[in-house]
Amino acid sequence: MTDAIYPQVRIVPERLLNPETTERLLNLIAAVAGVRRILLNGPRLPATVPYGPAHGTENPHTLRRTIRVCGEDVDLQVHVGYVLLELENRDVIPGIKAACDEVITEFSYSIKEGRFMKTEATLADFAKYGPDADKSVIGMADPRSRQGPVIIQGTK
Amino acid sequence: MAYKAQFGPGSSIVAENRRKYMNPGYKLEKIRDMSDEDIVLIMGHRAPGAAYPTAHPPLAEQQEPACPIRKMVAPTEGAKAGDRIRYIQFADSMFFAPTHPYERSYLESYRYRGVDPGTLSGRQIVECRERDLEKYAKELVNTELFDSARCGIRGATVHGHSLRLAEDGMMFDMLQRCILDKKANMVKYVKNQIGEPLDKEVKAGKPMDDKWLKAHTTIFHSLGGVAYRDDAEYIEYVQRIHSLRTKYGFMPVE
Repeated sequence: MTDAIYPQVRIVPERLLNPETTERLLNLIAAVAGVRRILLNGPRLPATVPYGPAHGTENPHTLRRTIRVCGEDVDLQVHVGYVLLELENRDVIPGIKAACDEVITEFSYSIKEGRFMKTEATLADFAKYGPDADKSVIGMADPRSRQGPVIIQGTK
Repeated sequence: MAYKAQFGPGSSIVAENRRKYMNPGYKLEKIRDMSDEDIVLIMGHRAPGAAYPTAHPPLAEQQEPACPIRKMVAPTEGAKAGDRIRYIQFADSMFFAPTHPYERSYLESYRYRGVDPGTLSGRQIVECRERDLEKYAKELVNTELFDSARCGIRGATVHGHSLRLAEDGMMFDMLQRCILDKKANMVKYVKNQIGEPLDKEVKAGKPMDDKWLKAHTTIFHSLGGVAYRDDAEYIEYVQRIHSLRTKYGFMPVE
């Protein structure tokens, strides 16, 4: 769950990002001091075909792979369309822009400020995490999945 | 017939393309060469070379009731042979795909016999007898109506029409039925339209460049293309239809 005192930004690239580009971008962003949380949004790339006549068969996809961010493995489950960030304060934004400028060179992007992360626990969150959930975890992973958020160590 | 079909209003290149594709008198430009076998593999309804399964005996072998309509309308090859009804479905990216769902349904209705097109927001399905379908699908895929990067043959899990493109210019596909071979600049289908892996890759031609796409698209797009509002004739026509439809129950007077 988010806290209103922390500013949030959304990076909107003109194209959906490949895993290689995402990896480079996240490594630069995670190294910027003052980034609290990072969330990747985009259309899902499931491991098996979720519906239709081929339901349940394996779904090999070159864009669904594991990337390495600051020494931690991150399993990409989406084709990255948005990168949502929660920052310590607004002074961090120029560092985020510099990271984007370095990586996103083939097409344009924009950075928007606002509130993009989940602010309240939903029923699904309550069922998964219970009443005493860690607020910083709410909204960071699909509550229906068995995976939690990845914790990146040692950048602060 | 006393009048000549006009197909649609508009003075922009987009409107002109819409009219061209709908007009059965216009010969579609052939830009790639996918074989019958390739089409059969991608559609996945039968194995290449296999006999057509039938839904009923050939018309010549069954007793037809005495019907004046049946005498007037000549059956298509597929209907004559009693083929099953099968489908092909397309998803078209809003980023300057040559056709879009409504356009596809219009042009198929004008150009082909015995088809049942169905239009949805981001995809379009056409159903007909199997051997007729293969003939029509070949034309739909091999001509300027199709671009291998911005159009997809997708029987299920069609999402992609309104999404941003991937970095390599391909439309998003959750099942990644086709991949772009960057070295050969060639799109290859590795799965059939419902997402089952193919035994061999099927080449779907090179993706066309932006200049070609913008010259051949039938989609208005205010970012980088022709904006709908810039085509005054189109707007005037649509507003007139809207006005007449709204007033129809009362007194449609122009």
